[in-house]
Amino acid sequence: MKNLIITILTLFSIMALASTAQAHDPKEHMKDAEKPNCAAMKDMDHSKMDMNDPVMQAMMKQCMASMHGDDEASEASPGDHDEHMKHDAPPNDDETSAAPDDNHHEKPEASEETPGAEHSH
Amino acid sequence: MTLSKPFGCIRCLSVAAIVIGLGGIGFVYSGLYPMHADVPHNDFTYWVLETLRERSIDRASGNIQVPADIDSSDRLLAGGADYNDMCAGCHLSPGQKDSDLSLGLYPAPPNLAAAPGEHGDEPTQQAQRRFWIIKHGIKGSGMPAWGSGHDDDRIWNMVAFLEKLPALSPEQYQILSARAETGDGHH
Ligand code: HEC
Ligand SMILES: [Cu+2]
Repeated sequence: MKNLIITILTLFSIMALASTAQAHDPKEHMKDAEKPNCAAMKDMDHSKMDMNDPVMQAMMKQCMASMHGDDEASEASPGDHDEHMKHDAPPNDDETSAAPDDNHHEKPEASEETPGAEHSH
Repeated sequence: MTLSKPFGCIRCLSVAAIVIGLGGIGFVYSGLYPMHADVPHNDFTYWVLETLRERSIDRASGNIQVPADIDSSDRLLAGGADYNDMCAGCHLSPGQKDSDLSLGLYPAPPNLAAAPGEHGDEPTQQAQRRFWIIKHGIKGSGMPAWGSGHDDDRIWNMVAFLEKLPALSPEQYQILSARAETGDGHH
């Protein structure tokens, strides 16, 4: 009986060790992770930006998360994010669908241009 | 020789085969083949190993089902961060020319941030091939198998990212590969 317990305990500790060694949890990297340098986005050629391009959409998502991480936008569903993304489109880009929740997104527009927008929280 | 012609031929063929076989084994034991990674294989060894690798991967990866949402921006984001953590040291990132690992390994890790090269694979085939290589690794090269610590979805995310990687500027790469603080899935 005692042997069994020891065996089980040993097995569990080996499993625990093994899992820390191999499983690569994204959270492990959070501490030394670089933050997205979203300020660089404003230097990109806006006329060449295509909102249907997955790369563009991904950058928008990434920068939305870092800029509005602590306001109500972070609680929004991913689908909602898509609407916000269109919002940050440069004015010359055709705006086909007007998002219903315009208002709360007009103010952060200015803060996007300032480096301070990449605040941590 | 009283043997009829076909028998004579079989006999000399088998003698030749034995001599070649023994010679081959002798060569293996002789220690003459250069194993140092800073000297490339000769053309024959290279051809054998490359053909062995490519045929094997083609056969093994041909039936892999590529997810329909492989182009989604969410996959790109998730794959970008993982690529930066686990792969960029060997396979480089936009604007980077080499690294200790990319210079020192043989076979050399291809620069996956550079414009796509020799493989004229169509996109599905390329995705299948890449998924298989990332999951299972490649024997006798520095390419590890990542399948034990990473589920298929995470590997597909990296495949998705690899597709866009050559087109990314260093700035775009930085944004896509950073781990935003919301990256741990709080929404
Ligand atoms: C220690 C260095 C190293 C690391 C880390 C590494 N690789 Fe590799 N990879 C290699 C080498 C070396 C090859 C070439 C093997 C060969 O030619 O036989 C390779 C080949 C590949 C290939 C096939 C390229 C082609 O078109 O032939 C892909 C795709 C790939 N690696 C993806 C990845 C991904 C994704 C990661 C991160 C999860 C990664 N690698 C991490 C060394 C590495
Ligand atoms: Cu990992």
